[in-house]
Amino acid sequence: MNPETSKMQQRRVSELRSLPVLPSILQSLGTCLSASPGDMNIDRIVELISYDKSLAAQCLRVANSAMFTRRAEVESVRQAVLALGVQRIRDIVYSCSLPKPFAGSEQGMAQSTFWRHALGTALVSENLAHRLKVADIEKLYLAGLPCDIGILVNSLLYPEDFQRVLEQAQASETPLCEVEQQVLGFTHCESGRILADIWKLPPDISETIEFHHHPSGELADVEMTCVVYLADLLCRLRGLGYGYYEAREFDLAAEIPWQVLKKKHPDTAAGLDLARFTFELDQYGVEVQTMVDSIFSNGSGPH
Amino acid sequence: MSTNSTAILNRTATDADLADPALVKLRDLIYRISGIFHAENKFYLLALRSRRRMQIIGSNAFTDYFDQLTTRANRDVEMRNLLNEITIGETYFFSGQPTIDAVSKIILPKIVPLPGKQAVKKVRVWSAGCSTGEESYTLSILFLEQIAPKFKYWKIEIVATDLSDDSLVKCREGLYPEYSVRNLSPQMREKYFKQEGPLYRIKDVVRAPIKFDRLNLQDQTKMLFMKGFDLVFCANVLIYFDSAAKKRTVEHFYNGLVPGGHFFLGECETLFGIYDQFRLVHFPGSTGYHKPVPGEDAGGKK
Repeated sequence: MNPETSKMQQRRVSELRSLPVLPSILQSLGTCLSASPGDMNIDRIVELISYDKSLAAQCLRVANSAMFTRRAEVESVRQAVLALGVQRIRDIVYSCSLPKPFAGSEQGMAQSTFWRHALGTALVSENLAHRLKVADIEKLYLAGLPCDIGILVNSLLYPEDFQRVLEQAQASETPLCEVEQQVLGFTHCESGRILADIWKLPPDISETIEFHHHPSGELADVEMTCVVYLADLLCRLRGLGYGYYEAREFDLAAEIPWQVLKKKHPDTAAGLDLARFTFELDQYGVEVQTMVDSIFSNGSGPH
Repeated sequence: MSTNSTAILNRTATDADLADPALVKLRDLIYRISGIFHAENKFYLLALRSRRRMQIIGSNAFTDYFDQLTTRANRDVEMRNLLNEITIGETYFFSGQPTIDAVSKIILPKIVPLPGKQAVKKVRVWSAGCSTGEESYTLSILFLEQIAPKFKYWKIEIVATDLSDDSLVKCREGLYPEYSVRNLSPQMREKYFKQEGPLYRIKDVVRAPIKFDRLNLQDQTKMLFMKGFDLVFCANVLIYFDSAAKKRTVEHFYNGLVPGGHFFLGECETLFGIYDQFRLVHFPGSTGYHKPVPGEDAGGKK
């Protein structure tokens, strides 16, 4: 690391004290929602969601949205939990709570663009894991959702520099990471990792945040990182990206993460029509839009 | 498909139709036979287009229509009718914007600086199954707009082939209704078309690089002569072929391309399970196929 970068890195770490804290609801609810089906305490989940008025309202809004057409209106948190199922509730809780710490940061990437990409990556990660029959599919959603959280950290801590990154990336139609490296001397992967450690996220998820653009063989859960890598890429290729055109051609099957997954799951990988899978992803556009509209409805953003 | 007509179609597909499990069976059948895949967000189109055919033949339920397509004597004819219905209305100028962007922003700028290209200074394109010519003329306009100003002395040569003589007559005539040019700005219309009453006639500068020809893609001898292309387009044609004919045809396309060349199918078509020499490549919003350069590493296309 050159002295200039090192200086910047030090400055950055000292500034991290001003970083947002993990919403407390996620600390308590996260544990409840990750319990195995036998240990699931629905009453406790309903109670915790009900404590947080804006989260409860958002659960109801999503439960009543066009995405989940129902005969009767869902009126209580309990009904919402039962109607949507714990897994969907988990998705809503995470995707509505995670943006909160970053509310009010006007600079950088538009919040709605960022969360569309985040939710898209989460859903595609889960789906790809399901197709390949990767173990622990549930976790893939939670790994995909925050993988780019470093973008928000960079927007928050270096508003002007990061604005320049976005402008340059857009003008040159190149991947964000490359421009971050040139302009800032580090990428959102590194900033994201620092936040993940401060938030004490599970080690495999922190690792995915750090390595999702360049998975390496020594990771604790290399499969998870590889799935998220591909999901992130697919989202950027199918209209759920960073909000600008990336002029690149990708041979997904030749990407190392795909080869790693193919080696571990030869049968399911060989049977997957990647072109068809790509077309199928377009249906997430609607789902993601509904969720993001729900989070940022009335232009007020997360409360 | 324009946003407006999509919205109109969307309103006419009922919730009951969209939730009918037989629609999924129909989708899978079409995918198996033609390679066209309707994702869930395209179900309303599938439902509506199937309904149109069902109305004509007097079938009321998707399950019954599925039987018509699988077990009845005239199933092949009806499948062909359905595929016609599915692919109808996809020919207009600058349809499939993501593929056009991929060609103009990613592929053409890569072809032009290639060392082997410097002597000839020519990009060669084959539009196989050119229908009424919109795709070929779009490519010609694209080249004039995006590449010609930046790369002096470069030329494009477009070979546009179709089996139908009627289509070829329309291609050569180059006269289009307002509907076909709706994606073009008034400036672009003015620049590349001459208005004749309500119709738009393509100007000679756009016409010059294109050679229209009759070609049957099943004609094994003639196909052997189709060589040296940088790009091949074949949208919604293979869907009518059985799997052996598909494979044979795609192999000809592969052999007709220069190493490093690209092949594009229709928007929702896939080559999976048909021919594995091509490599599937992703561009923003579209997919295509790439013929590797000998010795090219997997992953060498960064």
